[in-house]
Amino acid sequence: MAMANHHPSNDFLMEYAAGTLPVAQAACISAHLNYCDRCRRVYDQMQNIGGVMLERLEPVPVSEAVLDAVLGRLDEPEPLHHPQAKAAVELPALLRRIINGDFSQLVWKRITKSLSISYLSTGDSDYEFALYRIAAGGRIPEHQHAGTEMTLVLEGGFSDSNGHYHAGDFIYRVADEKHAPVALDGEDCICLAVLDAPLRFTGWNYRWLNPFLQLRAS
Amino acid sequence: MVEEKGENEVGAQRASGWSAPTGRRTDEWSECLVHIGKSHDRAAFTRFFRHFAPLIKAFALAGSSLSASHADELVQEVMLKVWQKADGFNPEKAAASTWIYTIARNCRTDMFRRLQKFDTQLAAEDLSIEVEGEEPFAVLHNRRGSDRVRDLMGQLPPDQAQILAKVYMEGKSHSEAAAELDLPLGTVKSRVRLAIQKLQVQMDRQ
Repeated sequence: MAMANHHPSNDFLMEYAAGTLPVAQAACISAHLNYCDRCRRVYDQMQNIGGVMLERLEPVPVSEAVLDAVLGRLDEPEPLHHPQAKAAVELPALLRRIINGDFSQLVWKRITKSLSISYLSTGDSDYEFALYRIAAGGRIPEHQHAGTEMTLVLEGGFSDSNGHYHAGDFIYRVADEKHAPVALDGEDCICLAVLDAPLRFTGWNYRWLNPFLQLRAS
Repeated sequence: MVEEKGENEVGAQRASGWSAPTGRRTDEWSECLVHIGKSHDRAAFTRFFRHFAPLIKAFALAGSSLSASHADELVQEVMLKVWQKADGFNPEKAAASTWIYTIARNCRTDMFRRLQKFDTQLAAEDLSIEVEGEEPFAVLHNRRGSDRVRDLMGQLPPDQAQILAKVYMEGKSHSEAAAELDLPLGTVKSRVRLAIQKLQVQMDRQ
């Protein structure tokens, strides 16, 4: 059974259920739901609120012409659509689509000895959507965020001063929180990170890298 | 595993006092939808349309975010999807209203993005997750959830109902809702929290 110990807040699950999250953040929540039965149940209930509110709206008359137009289109061939995400503990289908394959298709940009980043595109120009790979046992130098950061662990795991995180765990950080994650031993850690401002290394010996970390949102 | 089994049994006992003998939802729109999916019955579809299209139009116009002609276009898109996807509707998993809400929400999000020329290869439907193979307890839990929300919704204080309407019907984020209502974001979030408690959205019933 899929397990995760760190979850998005109810606020995020509601905004996801109401369809009000930016594309990049919605993609990250969607990927977490692939791993997490608990959050899928909450999401189901959050959607029920939408269904009940829809039932309770004051109906607005629709002309017969609209009905006729729809009846006239019922025989149209269905548009092709991508198979929907199915819950499973593997790379979420949505990410496979965004990556256009699996991890072997990615282009990694090496930032430090232990950290490589692969920038992906969701069409959302406000948020960087990227995969971070931390070498087994490796450390990301202490850094802080100028904005918000959603992180979803996809493979392996890491620790920081707040706890240990494994595949499926979701972490949300707001501006100015500092941390220095260390990948668990034995396996590279791959995380999805969604940022609205670049991260900033805080240690004097890594600050020179900051200009290389401009936000790459696309 | 042991805990889960225990919960399953509790769920099964509760069900016997509550659900119809077949174990299926009996509300007529769910049945109608199943029938449309199985038989491609245009008369049933027309009935479904006459009930739901005016609600979809009200949803489209909520917050006056779309023009009347775009609202009619949205009604068409949603209803075509209903016809195409009805055979995938499972009345044991979701209420008809929740199912159609999800379609309407996705279509409206895509329409907004098209109108704003927001260029993404991801349709809203790609970003929502269809969960297969859930264990019976979770399915039952969700089915009861919809009925419970329906029963409790009328008892929400107006200030909480207003925020939920902004979020779900008008498609506003919590911060947009705060700005429009001239409230601090913290107030919006606490009303949301209270509303969720009142509607008994339950978090940790694993």
